Amino acid sequence: MEVYLYIALFAPLVGSLFAGLFGAYPKMLFTGVIASGLLFASFVSSAILLNYVLTGHTVHVEMMTWIAAGDLYIPFGFVVDQVSVTMMMVVSVVSTVVHVYSIGYMAHDKGFNRFFSYLSAFVFSMMVLVMSDNFLGLFIGWEGVGLCSWLLIGFWYHKESATWAANEAFIMNRIADLAMLIGIFMMYWNLGSLQYDVVFANVATLPMHIITWIGIFLFIGAMGKSAQFPLHTWLADAMEGPTPVSALIHAATMVTAGVYLVVRANPIYSEIPDVGNAIASLGAFVAMFAATMALVNRDMKRIIAYSTLSQLGYMFVAAGLGAYWVALFHLMAHAFFKALLFLGAGNVMHAMHDELDPFKMGGLKKSMKGTWIFMTLASVALAGIYPLAGFFSKDLILEVAFVEQHYILYTVLLLTAGLTAFYSFRLVALIFHGNERHLEHGIHPHEAYSFMLYAMAPLAVLAVIAGMVFKTPYYLMVTNLLPAMTYHIHNHTTFWIMTIGTQLFVIAAITYAYKKYAKAVKVDKKVESGLLYQLLYNQYYIPKIYDEVFSKPYLKLSKLAWKEIDLKIVDATVDGIANVIYQTGEKTHTMQNGNLSSMLRWMVIGLVVLLVLAVAFTAGYNAVNLQAM
Amino acid sequence: MQEHILSILIFFPALAAMFGFVVHKDSVRAYGITVAAIEFFLSLWLWNLYDPMTSGMQFMEMAPLVSAFGISYLVGVDGISLFIIILSTFFTLIGIASLTEKRRVKDLIITLLFLEMTMVGVFAALDAIVFYVFWELSLIPMLYIIGAWGGPLRIYASIKFFLYTFTGSLVMLVGMLFMAYFYYQATGQWSFSLLEWYRLILPVNIQMWLFGAFFLGFAIKVPMFPFHTWLPYAHGQAPTIGSVILAAILLKMGTYAFIRFSLPLFPDASVIFMFPIAILAIIMIVYAAMVAYAQEDIKQVVAYSSISHMGVIILGIFALNVEGITGSIFLMIAHGVVSGALFLLVGVIYDRRHTKLMSEFGGLASVMPRYATIFGIMMMASVGLPLTINFVGEFLSLLGFYKQSHSYTLVAGTAIIVGAIYMLSAYKKAFFGNVTKEENKNLKDVNRTELLGLVPLVIVAIWLGVYPKPLLEPINNSVEAIVQLMHDKAQTEEAKQRIPDLAHSAGLNSMQEAH
Amino acid sequence: MEITLTHYLVLSTVLFAIGLIGVMRRKNLLMLFFATEILLNAVNIGMAAISHYRGDYTGQMFAFFIIAIAASEVAVGLGLLIVWYKRTGKIDLDQMTSMRG
Repeated sequence: MEVYLYIALFAPLVGSLFAGLFGAYPKMLFTGVIASGLLFASFVSSAILLNYVLTGHTVHVEMMTWIAAGDLYIPFGFVVDQVSVTMMMVVSVVSTVVHVYSIGYMAHDKGFNRFFSYLSAFVFSMMVLVMSDNFLGLFIGWEGVGLCSWLLIGFWYHKESATWAANEAFIMNRIADLAMLIGIFMMYWNLGSLQYDVVFANVATLPMHIITWIGIFLFIGAMGKSAQFPLHTWLADAMEGPTPVSALIHAATMVTAGVYLVVRANPIYSEIPDVGNAIASLGAFVAMFAATMALVNRDMKRIIAYSTLSQLGYMFVAAGLGAYWVALFHLMAHAFFKALLFLGAGNVMHAMHDELDPFKMGGLKKSMKGTWIFMTLASVALAGIYPLAGFFSKDLILEVAFVEQHYILYTVLLLTAGLTAFYSFRLVALIFHGNERHLEHGIHPHEAYSFMLYAMAPLAVLAVIAGMVFKTPYYLMVTNLLPAMTYHIHNHTTFWIMTIGTQLFVIAAITYAYKKYAKAVKVDKKVESGLLYQLLYNQYYIPKIYDEVFSKPYLKLSKLAWKEIDLKIVDATVDGIANVIYQTGEKTHTMQNGNLSSMLRWMVIGLVVLLVLAVAFTAGYNAVNLQAM
Repeated sequence: MQEHILSILIFFPALAAMFGFVVHKDSVRAYGITVAAIEFFLSLWLWNLYDPMTSGMQFMEMAPLVSAFGISYLVGVDGISLFIIILSTFFTLIGIASLTEKRRVKDLIITLLFLEMTMVGVFAALDAIVFYVFWELSLIPMLYIIGAWGGPLRIYASIKFFLYTFTGSLVMLVGMLFMAYFYYQATGQWSFSLLEWYRLILPVNIQMWLFGAFFLGFAIKVPMFPFHTWLPYAHGQAPTIGSVILAAILLKMGTYAFIRFSLPLFPDASVIFMFPIAILAIIMIVYAAMVAYAQEDIKQVVAYSSISHMGVIILGIFALNVEGITGSIFLMIAHGVVSGALFLLVGVIYDRRHTKLMSEFGGLASVMPRYATIFGIMMMASVGLPLTINFVGEFLSLLGFYKQSHSYTLVAGTAIIVGAIYMLSAYKKAFFGNVTKEENKNLKDVNRTELLGLVPLVIVAIWLGVYPKPLLEPINNSVEAIVQLMHDKAQTEEAKQRIPDLAHSAGLNSMQEAH
Repeated sequence: MEITLTHYLVLSTVLFAIGLIGVMRRKNLLMLFFATEILLNAVNIGMAAISHYRGDYTGQMFAFFIIAIAASEVAVGLGLLIVWYKRTGKIDLDQMTSMRG
């Protein structure tokens, strides 16, 4: 089995290095094909491992020592257990699809080879992240995906906005990474190891406040990667990257790493339910907060990005409330339908010549039938309509909140479910229904290559069946490792009222969205100039506030530190001291007038001064000596 | 030959430099490369012969110089100095091999070979006077390199560099003389041998004075805030090769000397001064990073980033535990490789455009893709991405200091944030965007000579990031010996507590102490 | 009145002061030599006197050394002075400023 583990892990790296060899050359189709092929190999190996894990085994290998100093010992160790194999499947499936899709999507891009190099490198980092058997190994992947995200967001590096967004994402993640490092330090000095098994076995022996701090710091790390408030602004800006990147990194895999971390560290979080509640509350807040921003946005990709953010909030609610397997399950289902949604958006963008404003589109269902079906499917799944994936995973989170008696969280999430349905179908309605507004801009849309649609098909299938078919076997498998909580509403009537009620609520939201946007679009000036609309449209002015409160003052302070402090104080002091010495020499050199007589006079003066000093300082000694005599 | 390998390593380049005067100036480059290559392979051979399991000094040689005062030519290596010596020979080789300087190449190569002698000498010396002699001698070639091959302000920069560091080391010399005098008082014999000095336990107040004297010398060399202002001038004016050697090796003398002298000689004073120095280190980290962010000249960005990274090294040293000190030594190597490479990279673009202002560039990634790639890799290494060389050192240094203080480490840890800010924004300014300047449209990508220098550095930066064990193991063993020595020598209760006792801890001790 | 150590030391001090003033005020090189001799002899008197007082002959030994060295110094110094006089015709100190810094 170890060989499959290594294939699953290193095949993407090989693909990345191979494509990277041709990075500076113009497009070569085979780099994309080979990279995709290697990813498929990784997928097959993951599937074999999944099969093996389903029989109740796990694989744990230690490849070699990485860092060993003092008592610290960190190997390159990899573990395939019920949790990591789930993530491996998600990553390898989505990334294989995205790779194949990208061959078509990036077909006319100068940086074709480079793109596949980066994309495969990302998959490798993600595999390291999920397969590692210790926290520092996870951190390798953690930073690795950050690097790849930086490279891919800034892929079109001639665009100012893209490189700015790339840097923003990297730096914001770094802030969170610092907290994560601190969490790792705490674990090491308190438990003497960073291996998962050692840490989880001993964590309960620690004093409460230390566990709490470890939990908080790790979660701050997770907040950065999963773009939770207040570190969320980078995710929407990250949409500057190519759309397959958004599908793979900023929807399906990387952003869910934070959820994975919390799920993986469940023995820690089980000890600290208070922190768990805080996580759940933050998650619910973000779910609502992001959904509201998605309501009015006019950028197709940003809308989907906010929806991702919102769904991540759902996952954190589940994880925070101790329903780790539910969080992981929603992570998986979400990865499928959200990647599908993004890839569909990519098709639309191609057809619209990179136009992103859905208000300039419309009626695309005629020319882009496949994409229309896929995106509608994905939106239905996202909205959580029976029997698609979202229904099983998202409604489960609502039930968790209800059963755990967090009724406020439940209400927030329920409302958010309505908002989700609304903005998803607002988007679908604007793009695919109504007038063909894009004709005014002289755009004649065409459907994407058929192989791209075929590549998307597996995701569509998964988005439909993932909930229905996988739920029970998945539950049985993953609860070998995660706490096996079942969330049943014991009262049947309540259960049915809730389920049907939610469904009706969501359907109502969808209908409203269709009604409002599927025909002609009326722009209501009054609403748009309203405070609430402006607040939402400007993302609660948070990016602006960050810019004013952090970025600009930091630059100003830096300039101040350099021009005022470094040059005018620190350096000037040094030069000042040197100057004093120099000036003293300059002033006193007239003493050396060459006249023996006056020099002798100076000598005598010096002698007298020295004598006086000698007498003054030895007076004490003399007194002692005299007494002795 | 094996027993004299260190002396050969020290004096071979100097001897070869003498012969260099008679070599014809057309073949002096080949000659220089040959000499540096032989020297480098000799140092690799030294590594091969070195026994990584032994913590003490190896290949020791001793010859009395002034026996009345116990001054002798005493050299040896342990895990702490071994790799810095190899780094010195490595960078001399790379520097000469990728030399693009056209003016007076012969003089430059001879100067570099002399410099190599002093560098190896400093790191191999175990006698304080011999150490001091090499320490000061190293200033002269560097003064010459900056002053003769530098930019427009070279005279000011070189004098500033020389006088500033020289002043500091004079105070250090006084400290050394006092140290020898105290040794004489205690034992009735003069000795300048470090190994003898290690056995001396000084009263705490004397430790503090001597620590201060040594500190001034070392801190200026590192350079620590607020003694750092000579560095930007030196880097700004020095030719590429000068900056490379200065950043990669010469700065390490200060941090190395902290580990060699300050910690084992004055364990109590080290503990007393730990927090003040940590504050200075944190100022270095954050403040230098901010200043780096404000720079307009890409070379100054790298120069200030050096100060910032040296702050992390200092912090690791004053963690006073095995993890921290091992990490800081590893970070010295790492920073040498990375900052050396970054200075080489800046040199590449300077050779083409004769300017280092970032506003003059922009969009270089599309004109010089290979250059942008190598720069990107090195930048990411500098930022401390895992699986690159810097991460191991930075992680261990911060991890070590976390044991001493949680809040300080949290502040110092911002290094990974502020470091990313200045590096990424500099990279963005120079490499991203559209090519706006006409002159940049037809720039040539890195050529073969330049790749000769850069590719090995890239390989090292990744190799040691993935597999640091060959270095970490010997370093770790030697550091353990030093930490144990410090613990045994410590007198105050606090020092006993802060410096871990390795002999009596079964691993679990450290767990309980943490609470 | 018995002559004590104090008297010798006073004499020595007075002579030293005279010499010192001579060294500072005289502009003639020859006079400068005289003043130097007075200084040296003032020290000699002090040494001899203290040596006698303490019964330790080291001081007198030193006095002899000083006399010998002063003699040789005068020999060399006068030689130089004569050469200088032959060259310039003057031995005025204010004229000798070639060491001006």
